[in-house]
Amino acid sequence: MRKLLALLAVWLCIGQLSAQTRTITGKVTSQDGSPIPNASIVIRGTSYGTTSNSDGSFTMNVPESARVLIVSAVGMASTEIVIGSRNVVTIALSTLNEQLQEVVVVGYGVQQKKAFTGSASKVDVKEFSNLIAPSVDKLLAGRATGVQVTNQSGLVNQPARIFIRGINSLSQGQGPLIVVDGIPVISGNLASTTNSNALGDINPADIENMEILKDGSATAIYGSRAAAGVILITTKKGDRGRTRVNYDGYVGFSNVLKKWDLLSGEEFVTIANEKLANAGLAPRANMDSLGTNTNWLDEALISNAFVQNHTLSLQGGNAKTTYYFSLNYTNQQGTVFSNKNRTYRVRMNLDHEVNKFIKFGNNLTLARQEDYDQNNGANSLGGAIAASLRLLPNVSPYRASHATGFNINHPTANSMAPGANTQSIDDNFFNIAFTLRHNKQYSDKYRLINNFYMELSPVNGLKIRSQASADMLNDYSLQSWDPRHGDGYSNGGYIYNSNQNFLRYVWQNYFNYNLKAGMHSFFLTGGHELQSTTTKWFSGSGVNIADLFFLKEGVISNTAATPSIGGNYTKAGFESLFGRFNYDFNNKYFFQATIRRDGLSSLAEARRYGSFPGFSVGWRPSEERFWQPLAPYINEAKLKASYATVGNVLTSANGFPYLTTFGPAPYGNISGVAINAIGTEALQWETSKKYDIGLELSLLKNRISVTADWFLNKLDNLVLEVPTPLSAGVPGNMIYQNIGTSENKGVEISVGATVINKKDFTWIVNANYSHVKSKVTGLYEVNGVPVEYIQNGNYNLIKVGEAYNIIHGYRYAGVNQANGNPMYYKADGTLVQQNFRTGASIGAFYEVNKDDGSLGASTAMGFADRVNLGQGVPVWFGAVSNTLTYKGFTLDFMFRYSGGNMIMNYTKQESLMNQSFQNNGKEILNRWTKPGDVTDVPRLYYGQGNNINQNSIATSRFVEKGDYLRLQNVALSYAVNSQALQKLTNGFVQQARVYVQGQNLHVWTSYSGADPDNISSGGVDQNVSPQIRTISFGLNVGF
Amino acid sequence: MKKIFCIAIAALLLGITGCKKVLDVAPNNAIPFDMAFSTADYCLLSLNGVYDAAQSGPYTGGTERRGYPFGAANIEQGDARGEDVINLAAFFQITYQASYNATTANNVALWDNLYGMINKANVCIEGFKAAADKGIISAAVGSEYEAECRFLRALGHHEAVIHYARPYLDGNGNKDGIPYRDFAIVSPDAIARIQSTGRPPVSEVYEKILADLDFAETNLPATRSTAVLKTTRATKAAAIALKMRVKLHMGDWPGVIAEGNKLVPATVDPVNWTSVVSPIGNWALTNAVDGPFTSNSSTESIFSIKNDAQDAPSTNGGLAAMFGSASLGGRGLVAISPIIWNNTGWKCDDKRRSTLYVTGASNISTTNLSYFTNKYRDYTTRGDYAPQIRYAEVLLTLAEAEARQEGGVSARAVALLNTVRNRALQTPASEQYTVGDFASKVALVKAILLERRIEFLAEGKRWGDIHRTVLEPDYTTGGIPAKAVNGANGLSIYECGTAYTPGQAAIPYSDYKFIWPIPASEIINNPIIKQNPTY
Repeated sequence: MRKLLALLAVWLCIGQLSAQTRTITGKVTSQDGSPIPNASIVIRGTSYGTTSNSDGSFTMNVPESARVLIVSAVGMASTEIVIGSRNVVTIALSTLNEQLQEVVVVGYGVQQKKAFTGSASKVDVKEFSNLIAPSVDKLLAGRATGVQVTNQSGLVNQPARIFIRGINSLSQGQGPLIVVDGIPVISGNLASTTNSNALGDINPADIENMEILKDGSATAIYGSRAAAGVILITTKKGDRGRTRVNYDGYVGFSNVLKKWDLLSGEEFVTIANEKLANAGLAPRANMDSLGTNTNWLDEALISNAFVQNHTLSLQGGNAKTTYYFSLNYTNQQGTVFSNKNRTYRVRMNLDHEVNKFIKFGNNLTLARQEDYDQNNGANSLGGAIAASLRLLPNVSPYRASHATGFNINHPTANSMAPGANTQSIDDNFFNIAFTLRHNKQYSDKYRLINNFYMELSPVNGLKIRSQASADMLNDYSLQSWDPRHGDGYSNGGYIYNSNQNFLRYVWQNYFNYNLKAGMHSFFLTGGHELQSTTTKWFSGSGVNIADLFFLKEGVISNTAATPSIGGNYTKAGFESLFGRFNYDFNNKYFFQATIRRDGLSSLAEARRYGSFPGFSVGWRPSEERFWQPLAPYINEAKLKASYATVGNVLTSANGFPYLTTFGPAPYGNISGVAINAIGTEALQWETSKKYDIGLELSLLKNRISVTADWFLNKLDNLVLEVPTPLSAGVPGNMIYQNIGTSENKGVEISVGATVINKKDFTWIVNANYSHVKSKVTGLYEVNGVPVEYIQNGNYNLIKVGEAYNIIHGYRYAGVNQANGNPMYYKADGTLVQQNFRTGASIGAFYEVNKDDGSLGASTAMGFADRVNLGQGVPVWFGAVSNTLTYKGFTLDFMFRYSGGNMIMNYTKQESLMNQSFQNNGKEILNRWTKPGDVTDVPRLYYGQGNNINQNSIATSRFVEKGDYLRLQNVALSYAVNSQALQKLTNGFVQQARVYVQGQNLHVWTSYSGADPDNISSGGVDQNVSPQIRTISFGLNVGF
Repeated sequence: MKKIFCIAIAALLLGITGCKKVLDVAPNNAIPFDMAFSTADYCLLSLNGVYDAAQSGPYTGGTERRGYPFGAANIEQGDARGEDVINLAAFFQITYQASYNATTANNVALWDNLYGMINKANVCIEGFKAAADKGIISAAVGSEYEAECRFLRALGHHEAVIHYARPYLDGNGNKDGIPYRDFAIVSPDAIARIQSTGRPPVSEVYEKILADLDFAETNLPATRSTAVLKTTRATKAAAIALKMRVKLHMGDWPGVIAEGNKLVPATVDPVNWTSVVSPIGNWALTNAVDGPFTSNSSTESIFSIKNDAQDAPSTNGGLAAMFGSASLGGRGLVAISPIIWNNTGWKCDDKRRSTLYVTGASNISTTNLSYFTNKYRDYTTRGDYAPQIRYAEVLLTLAEAEARQEGGVSARAVALLNTVRNRALQTPASEQYTVGDFASKVALVKAILLERRIEFLAEGKRWGDIHRTVLEPDYTTGGIPAKAVNGANGLSIYECGTAYTPGQAAIPYSDYKFIWPIPASEIINNPIIKQNPTY
């Protein structure tokens, strides 16, 4: 190795013969003096350079004209040193983590963290990019204050739901704007027949930095799209110096974290016959001679679902050109039988400096994602979970005598043989063992994001940048249903193919100008942005398919007896001007003003533009003289405050909420059109006034850092889908109006501490806590009378004075001990029972006469008897993460918590506690059977599930606390001693690390359902697939 | 340097001038309001759109087409509210067991889709008038299109008034009716206008229905160019026949007779049922009992809502899917009840039993068989038309009015009853009713009412008859009648002529559940509309 370097040096000398040269030797270290190998040392203005040895030393010949060396290394701040006449230099690099060096990525630029007066959370993706998930959003939970991330199911391809500082719109978009390398990208759950996450096209391992902008000041530069916050993702770039090759791979296994406890075959027979007997019917359930006992969940869910991920990256560059390339393959099998995501991703980021005036670069993302899914319908007869909770446990999924080997009645009926029972399952839930294997839901997506920029630096401090990108997403989706059983039976087989094409162009032209005059620093940003998005799709589908053979991979011409087509074409555009002014006095006082003016194609021409200003101020008292006595304890303190008015984009079914239109409305095969939307010409942006007051402290020489924010988002001009009376007959029963008001108020606290910092042992703790209280403050009026609430689905109300989406329903009063009837409280407190005894009207309400079992006066439970049973969205949440290192070992673990919300356990109400000839959850064994039984589960009564459980109405019987504590992940890694490794491998292998990790290992909760995260934004848990626990093993090698 | 600046500024300017194109976009999937009535062709497309609204609307808030207001969801509920079918699955269980509340999907969706259709009709009525004023369409075409819209508007309001309000005979129409919408609602101002009008009395609803139908009768053509159009778009006979139905609900026997005489010859030959031909539109019974079902646009199908393979409700809203036996490709969710099947008034060798009903499995049970109708036969593409008015209804409605009008036993009523019934008899000449078969007028009316239950079984007509007769001591069911228990019970319960004891208790007329609740969202957003008591 030494020889090699010597040779290189000789060669370099030869190269420099014409110029006079001298030799410089030196050492690159970190601030604590430890050597930094592989640091890049380049002479400024040339491409000449070298890298440091394993002991940090280097020797290089430089021309006499050389003045400045640029020294950089991974994870360290790049430094320039003036060599002057020195021939020996020692360079101490500081790590990027050091607070003073830290920058914050903001819209259209970066800012020094110390000067940043907005509120943003930096997420260090490197901490978790080895965790298993196809996309980064699924890993974000607990990583940042104020950011509530919910993985709503165990499906691997379903995007996470992200709320930043609460729900910031009642009926418009509630998710943040996602910006990758400065470009707002297409995001969402976009495939037409499967769950599919567009953000999955970005490899988490390629992400250098994520910045989540939360307050008005930070987001105002994104104007009308900022109400729900902004997530800025920056991908990795190359470093000057030698090429580093890195391989990172892991394999793992996923299992369901928690399943439901269902009745066994024997228990089912008892319960089913008891349901029937109580309704005066003869028994129908019997055990067969084989004692068949099927756990249908085992047919829907698989164990040890295999996961693998491999990323190979190349990173390097010289003084002029840097690059980052990566290749990735991921295959994640879900725990639901047919759920899978397979991804292939390529990234090529290239930056080149032509000269000191012109710089250009290009970031290219290429991805292919394949998603596999199944019928996940909460009410579907073939819903993977919905059906497996109800299918009869004393019936086998298989039957050898049937041609398919499955227990199905093809061709006579679309049902299963009932085994020893005298009837089949009620409502004809399908044999999902068959349908999961024979029906297909598949999406194949290609993504290309090309992002080219050119940057000019005409004068000192000024940078002018023009950046253009094309984002293309093509989705080929397939759905096919086998004609022999299930959803496809009545159609004679069904196939659907669609092609969706999204295309977005973004063109930004902006400048950044820095000016420093004495103690005054000015930073100016301004520019213009255009965005145009086109969405096209068409589909071909058919029923009565010639043969099973033609249902395999796609629609085949002339195979469907009844074909049909579909399609759409929509286009939307944005045009924006934006500007930002920062003033910094002596690093002590800060002021920022931002303005954005946005035009939106979906608004009427006269109302198209909106302006969104933002302001913030900051003060670092720790820079003041009076702080000196405090400085040993609190070495850094900053106070900041901000205010901004930002907006929220309008979406609507037809993309033009201001227009009254007629859409296609065929009457059979006769074409027709009919009014399909009533527009509001005057529609304008939703506005969100964001207030924030924050504090940042660093204590004990940065050993402890604390940030705290108080915030208030006051939402105004909310674009409500103002409900119209059904009897008005307005399409969609609503008219958009800028009318509602709402607010989110809360605090966020985050504390980071280096608890132990010894040479061989460190322990770092980060904890965060967020509390978000939302309140609807105003809706619309009917005839001058303010309306108090809007119904939002069956279980939720959006009610003035309450949190968004309260769960609204009956108060359950338990079971009447004397007769087993369920009891409720009316709004006025009257105790009533619902009768399920013969002799009086079944399902009717009567008052309770003490507890003697008799029926009192006939009464009714009406809409007015429903009360607020709690809010559906968590109020407080956060995480505590720990990193412990001992020599080469690192142990990371994170606990995450959330709560303050209630969950409407629909799964229990409709599925587990049904009163049909269907299986139940074990809890039904607690049913009332005789006078004196004290239980919460009423007497059984066949066919009365809708009544007994009050299906489609929330009742406190099924509304449970959503609080939980989750062991989110534990990772143990071992880094092989780098010097030893290099010695061993002749320097080819620079570093190696092995790790084992567990994700989502345990949840502590009183919630009785599968998982307290399995909730809609209304807090309803609807037969969602259980969350998964994954154990994986990985290897990281750097060359 | 200067060059670079120039380029940068040029780029910025270019960007700014390029913006117009980015923002100036218009929908490609919907036409602006004004265009909808801008040409004669667009007027016709808009008219078709009103029929579409009658065909297959979704559950509220969803997109799956379930067959509201005049498709399967409506027909099945019309039957499931009565006693002549058994609900086997959960699908219409709430309707069947009368456990609905103000947010129950099925009754909310019916209300929602009825008024959705009515507003589309009103939007078009105003559009056609404006188009006629501008000479885009002739005044005659304008009136004809308006007549079609008013026919549908009347049909819609009548459907609403029988589900959500007490019958006309209760206080001679003085109970709370349902809102009658007769102007286009396309703006918040129009909504404010309806928010100041409460529920009119039932009688006012009937008056407005009749006014619409009078206009429709005057302006609709007697016939159309093809059999399909004649059945699937309103004609003069459809307006008259609907008026007969409406007047029957009002107990206006002379009114029914006056209308009926427009569609039925003065003398009929009951043994020769196809010889009874309507002077308007040439409507006549088909020869065979299954004639109206083997052909969607038979000579008897005065008005049906069109469905076909290209445009049909989903499997959850198809007539054949829901009513049809699983053995034939349906789902078998609604079976025939032994209450009607075993009724002694229905002859055991009646041709309808063997031609229009089959035993079969349901999806629920392959072992517990039931009787299912096979009136609807398109199991895979669900293209059965949803029958609304058949000539058989005209004949039986007129028969009932004649029978009730007459002091004794009306010979004409007997002849009309026979005309329909004879088609189903093995030997009509000898088996048909004679005047002497009826001890009284009441017995005759009862026979006609029973004949309606048999003839229109599985066509959604049962609730209308229960609703309108519930206050007549001679004919009342007392309320929502007792029914068989929800679910399949096997073929043993079916036995012609053997009395069957239903297991689900009746609900008396006085009970609040006799009529449906007004949807909660109506009450919230339009508080002037008062909820039906107790809901």
